[in-house]
Amino acid sequence: MVSSLIDSNDRFLGILDRLSEKSVNDYYNPYRVFEWPDTLPDSMWWMSPELTTTHGTAAAERLTQEQLYALSKYESINFYSLNVHGIRELLIEVTKRIHTSGFETPSEFFHHFIGEENEHMWFFAEFCLRYGKKLYRQVPGDSVSIPQSKVESLLVFTRILIFEELVDFFNAKMAADERLHETIRNINRIHHQDESRHIAFGRELVEILFADVRSTATPEELRQIDVYVKRYMIYSFESLFNPKVYRDAGVENPQQLRKELLTGPVRPEFERQVFRKTLRYLEKTGIIGDQELVLR
Amino acid sequence: MISTRIDEVRAWILSRHPERESVASDENLIESRLVDSLSFVELVYTIEAAADVEIDFDAIDIQDFQTISAIEKAFFARA
Repeated sequence: MVSSLIDSNDRFLGILDRLSEKSVNDYYNPYRVFEWPDTLPDSMWWMSPELTTTHGTAAAERLTQEQLYALSKYESINFYSLNVHGIRELLIEVTKRIHTSGFETPSEFFHHFIGEENEHMWFFAEFCLRYGKKLYRQVPGDSVSIPQSKVESLLVFTRILIFEELVDFFNAKMAADERLHETIRNINRIHHQDESRHIAFGRELVEILFADVRSTATPEELRQIDVYVKRYMIYSFESLFNPKVYRDAGVENPQQLRKELLTGPVRPEFERQVFRKTLRYLEKTGIIGDQELVLR
Repeated sequence: MISTRIDEVRAWILSRHPERESVASDENLIESRLVDSLSFVELVYTIEAAADVEIDFDAIDIQDFQTISAIEKAFFARA
């Protein structure tokens, strides 16, 4: 049982206490902490250029500086929109589990988690609506495809962790990037601070959930988990390449650009960089067998 | 021309399922798990590129994506 694994894990219990305490001590009012200028200049980087999807590609060489700025603007709106959609999904999943059997002990931290995520969702949506005048829509998929019900919580929290680590890679870089506007740096900095707690929690919880699953899983079930987790990583990474972004930035054939970028020589290294820490963690825990991100 | 372009959608499905040699026009793509929640977005983009249309994500009707013939009727009929 997960609850007995959690309650007998002194390390996890200590971490839960420390993280909850830190959430209380670091609490801030998100509705007051940011300065929101009426507009942000178009002729600037809205996202670190190294994090944009055309960086280092032949496609970037075909674009003017103004087009590259526009692309960074719309890619940043896409990035924050992905945050909004990702947070909605993780809030649904964590809310489904708070104060239910198996999750009695982490429920205290879940209260902080849900509260903080709600606030993150607000400031990301505020940024999109204020400066992009919209949120990019998410393609409505079927319900989450989970191979078997007994691994559902493992896959849900692994997905949340992967999503948070992907986002954090961007947040950490943009928070430190002096080329970006202070408002942009601030939302990335605040999010990075809060997410470091959520990621620390997620890594511990996922390890415990996997230990529980592994104790009874067959090799075939473990293989399915490996495949699913890698597919989810690829799916998450590819969601950064949004044809609607390319269209908004004035690219003539957005679908063709997306295909060119996803199949081009720069993509594998960019993907490895984004998931460097995540792949290492997932391999170390045994959730994935190796660090090769290929569709199988 | 129409059959050539819908074949791009068929080719995309087959490229993801090397164990398959063909997909019937009336085969349910979702029930047979040829397309699932993680690949649905790629299906939408593949249709957009092949049919040269922009699909409104807010107005997506899953019925239009169940089979190759439903996709053809919904997105390629005007071509």
